[in-house]
Amino acid sequence: MGINIGITGLHAADNPAPGIGVIRSLRHPDGWDGKIVGLGYDVMDTGIYDDGLLDDVYLIPYPNQGFDAIFERLAYIHSQVRLDVIIPTLDSELALYQSLEPRLKEIGISLFLPSPESTKNVSKAYIDEFCQEIGIPSPKTFVVKTPSQLDEGFKEIGFPLMVKGIFYEAYHCENKLDALSYFDKIKLKWGLPIILQKVIKAEEFDICCVGSRDGDLLGSVPIRKTRLTDKGKAWAAITIKNPELDKLSKKIIKGLKWAGPCELEILQEKKTNKYYLLEVNPRFPAWIYLCTGAEQNLPKLVVDLALGKDVKPMPCAKSGMTFVRHATDLVCPIEHIEHLTTLGELHYTKSGKEE
Amino acid sequence: MKNIFKSELTLSQNGFLFDHGSGLTYTLNPTGQFIFKNIEEGKQAPGILRLLINEFDVSEETARKDIDDFFRQLSEAGLID
Repeated sequence: MGINIGITGLHAADNPAPGIGVIRSLRHPDGWDGKIVGLGYDVMDTGIYDDGLLDDVYLIPYPNQGFDAIFERLAYIHSQVRLDVIIPTLDSELALYQSLEPRLKEIGISLFLPSPESTKNVSKAYIDEFCQEIGIPSPKTFVVKTPSQLDEGFKEIGFPLMVKGIFYEAYHCENKLDALSYFDKIKLKWGLPIILQKVIKAEEFDICCVGSRDGDLLGSVPIRKTRLTDKGKAWAAITIKNPELDKLSKKIIKGLKWAGPCELEILQEKKTNKYYLLEVNPRFPAWIYLCTGAEQNLPKLVVDLALGKDVKPMPCAKSGMTFVRHATDLVCPIEHIEHLTTLGELHYTKSGKEE
Repeated sequence: MKNIFKSELTLSQNGFLFDHGSGLTYTLNPTGQFIFKNIEEGKQAPGILRLLINEFDVSEETARKDIDDFFRQLSEAGLID
């Protein structure tokens, strides 16, 4: 009997969610015999219509609908298709699944997530403090909790600086006028606190890591992004081999006692070659399938961890593997959309047609 | 001669050079490829100079300038100290 996996984050448009890359990794041909169940939020989540990717699709309520509503929906899906493991792939879902983990475990659904304490340490408001604790440089940060602290923040960080929302959005500001304008824009959209951060002239590297919960780094793939969209998202990247980044990854994962996947954003200052930890994203990156291409199937590793299997650190990823993202049109009959709209679910057969 | 490169480098047959440490790529012309391969084989600059003169049938002055330029570019790219 195969292991059935539920995956969220199926929308892959101009700011792609990681779910599709996770599914493609799980579909990678090395003996997978379970079902892949897509957990979508919207009928127009694009990955739903990628023929052959999913066995079943269910719509689930957004995280803001409340924990009980989501638990009930997942319990229903579990009763229909048996979900052995769920891999949530969006930042906004983490607190929800951390909270639901014991209840899901009780009905037979396993997760492998970082603790709330680890997650707090990597939030934008606390990461500077965490870096100081474990002795890793990070760009100087000022957390603005009320607008009256802005001038103090500008003075402490100095220009140019980044103005960052607590969850999303970041703007480079050369002067106070720019900074005030972006502060208001972010405040309206995401609220306070807002982060002011020193700008460092640097090269950026990103590393997809999987931690064991005891502080062991079980897998890691460092990359350089070689093409970005106008939103700053990777459109092409290449895997690299860099012992300094490996050492840094081990230290960060150990310090956090991180469990499961994350993406480290590292800066290497041009002037000094010094490395800084910029951010930790508490999930797989959208470019996760590149890791599988570089011979580290990290989604499968997370499934094994969720199932309580004994896993060993993976051999070094292959450097020089590259990806280029490619937009394409998915075509499907109206019945697929009709099923999802009216029933909230869709079931594919092996020929790709709905059942 | 010990390996002078700061990270692992791979040169393809067509002159495409990949730095595994940084992910950056470079394109080398035939002269650059020739000098690079000889550095990789552990040859010193004076030895490479003689080989370059023979291989490309150029004056010592031209060959010396090519080698100096190549080492300068490697240094500017951060591939050697």
